Amino acid sequence: METLSALWAGFGVALQPANLLWGFIGVTLGTFVGVLPGVGPALTVAMLLPLTVKLEPTGALIMFAGIYYGAMFGGSTTTILLNAPGESASIATALEGNRMAKAGRAGPALATSAIGSFVAGTIATLLLTLLAPVVVEAALKFGPAEYFALMVFAFTTVSAVLGASTVRGLAALFVGLFLGLIGIDSQTGQTRFAFGVPELLDGIDVVVLAVGLFAVGETLYVAAYTSRMPETLEKLKGSLWMSGDDWRRSAPAWLRGTLFGFPFGSIPAGGAEIPTFLSYATEKKLSKHPEEFGTGAIEGVAGPEAANNAAATGTLVPLLSLGIPTSATAAILLSAFQNYGIQPGPLLFTTQGNLVWGLIASLYVGNLILLILNLPLIGIWVRVLAIPRPLLYGGILLFATLGAYSLHQSWVDLATLYVFGLLGFAMRRWDIPVAPAIIGLILGPLAETQFRRALAISEGDASVFLTQPISALLLTLAMAAVLGPWLWRRFRGAQAK
Amino acid sequence: MSAARRSRAELVLSAGVLALGIGVSVGTAFLPGEGGYARIGPNFMPGVVGGGLVVVGVWLLYEALTGGWRQRGEDSPKERGEHAFHAPAFLWVSAGLFAHMILIGTAGFVIAGAVLVACIARGFGSPRFGRDFAIGFTLALAAFLFFVKFLNVGLPGGWLAPLLGTAGI
Repeated sequence: METLSALWAGFGVALQPANLLWGFIGVTLGTFVGVLPGVGPALTVAMLLPLTVKLEPTGALIMFAGIYYGAMFGGSTTTILLNAPGESASIATALEGNRMAKAGRAGPALATSAIGSFVAGTIATLLLTLLAPVVVEAALKFGPAEYFALMVFAFTTVSAVLGASTVRGLAALFVGLFLGLIGIDSQTGQTRFAFGVPELLDGIDVVVLAVGLFAVGETLYVAAYTSRMPETLEKLKGSLWMSGDDWRRSAPAWLRGTLFGFPFGSIPAGGAEIPTFLSYATEKKLSKHPEEFGTGAIEGVAGPEAANNAAATGTLVPLLSLGIPTSATAAILLSAFQNYGIQPGPLLFTTQGNLVWGLIASLYVGNLILLILNLPLIGIWVRVLAIPRPLLYGGILLFATLGAYSLHQSWVDLATLYVFGLLGFAMRRWDIPVAPAIIGLILGPLAETQFRRALAISEGDASVFLTQPISALLLTLAMAAVLGPWLWRRFRGAQAK
Repeated sequence: MSAARRSRAELVLSAGVLALGIGVSVGTAFLPGEGGYARIGPNFMPGVVGGGLVVVGVWLLYEALTGGWRQRGEDSPKERGEHAFHAPAFLWVSAGLFAHMILIGTAGFVIAGAVLVACIARGFGSPRFGRDFAIGFTLALAAFLFFVKFLNVGLPGGWLAPLLGTAGI
């Protein structure tokens, strides 16, 4: 009941004309940028962050919610029409969606993706509304030791569990943690690893890292390895509407996809990759037309798209209620909060209830705007896709560098950006995941603060992390996440002998 | 890409992680350890991170030396749906970014942006440098006016400052 009235008040905030306008602008810009090939949701949010510097926090965050959803939908459009999955969570969509487009069924593929995103986003936001206060209730009892353990757990799940290789995930995580050390230590004022460069004293900005890894790294990569490949943009022909049969096949897939996506997003094991593939495999198994899979089955678009969106919304549970980002996009959203001096977490629900619930309410509104806006405007988004690639990437980097430069008006940030670009290029080329580095950068300093607080409270007694049951449990789980796969392989190996 | 070149890249990257770990550990030694009554100073976390990087670096090196990194994706450009490394493209993009870095403080945001766009377009194979420069100029000018006039974000007017009025810094 309390939640309901808080949400009601939130709608009061979200539906104010000005905030509605910011939501609308956010969705439009997010879709526009998200449609650009090679630009995923994380990069979209990072590139549009400078736009909000002069906004008041509520409006800015509502705009961000719109950008986030718009970027997700824009990405699906590109995947379906261009077969260029902007992120790994879109690969499943590319499998079927692009084949549908090739077969002249781009319209229904886009429609099932848009409506599926709306259904999944709305259900997931509803689950977020119900779940977040419960998590907050529990988290209010957490002390620094529990928080530290929770962050360690998040570190290991995002780096070790997801992705192909534990060690490469950990390498990315530790590089991110190192970057997080650069600058002035917030506790003691000690300068660390700044090498006397004044621009480094503030620390490495998450936006510079994200834009460097994603925009500069991606541009270098595409230029070097795919700029001379022919590309085919599928035409949008035939009806945009889904037939009765399309609806019957899509609806259950949307719901199942949502059920896969939300839990994966909301436990700190973020990433939409696993649920999209689970959803794809499930739909393939349950379908009455398994033979269509691989040639353009609508369930294969509907399910993974819903899973992707539900997982994205799910990551907002740990972000808003615990202050812990579990995806690259969530990490950038967290830095947007921090720019306003807001630290997400359980206290935010009590101190800035209007802001949080306004944001949650605007997720419902943003989803609806997206549905109303996108299908009619699909013709415009398709035209965006037709921009020649040489100019497209030039334009992306123009805005990417603008964001970095506006931090200190200094070329040093541009040099940093290029270094991160080279890093992103190498990580992409040699299969090193990027998200752990971004999460390490933003979460590392927070983990350090909690660690010191915990020890200050226990007067230097490190056993506090193991004597508190929740902390001990989380640290054990974190340990299992790193060593589990390795032990499992050894066990299997021993059995095979 | 041949197996030998692949493993060389893996060796270089692994060694880089290890070197960073050693560097961070050495740097940590110069940081003060006093941290008030928790007895945890500003050198604690760098120590942990340095140690972690060393462990991960050694682990990566071990994998690289014993048959290559595990669970790697495809390596041949064909399997990845790519062409071989196109050095001029990579260099044009890099050159554009460096030119932008140098020009932005002197020539200003708009001219630097136009050069950036033109160089990157060249890297992606566009033969019309002049046209790309003009498009980049227009785009950068629009961005400049929007950020400076509308969002009050300061950007350098540079050589065009007299034309752009007091908008630049």
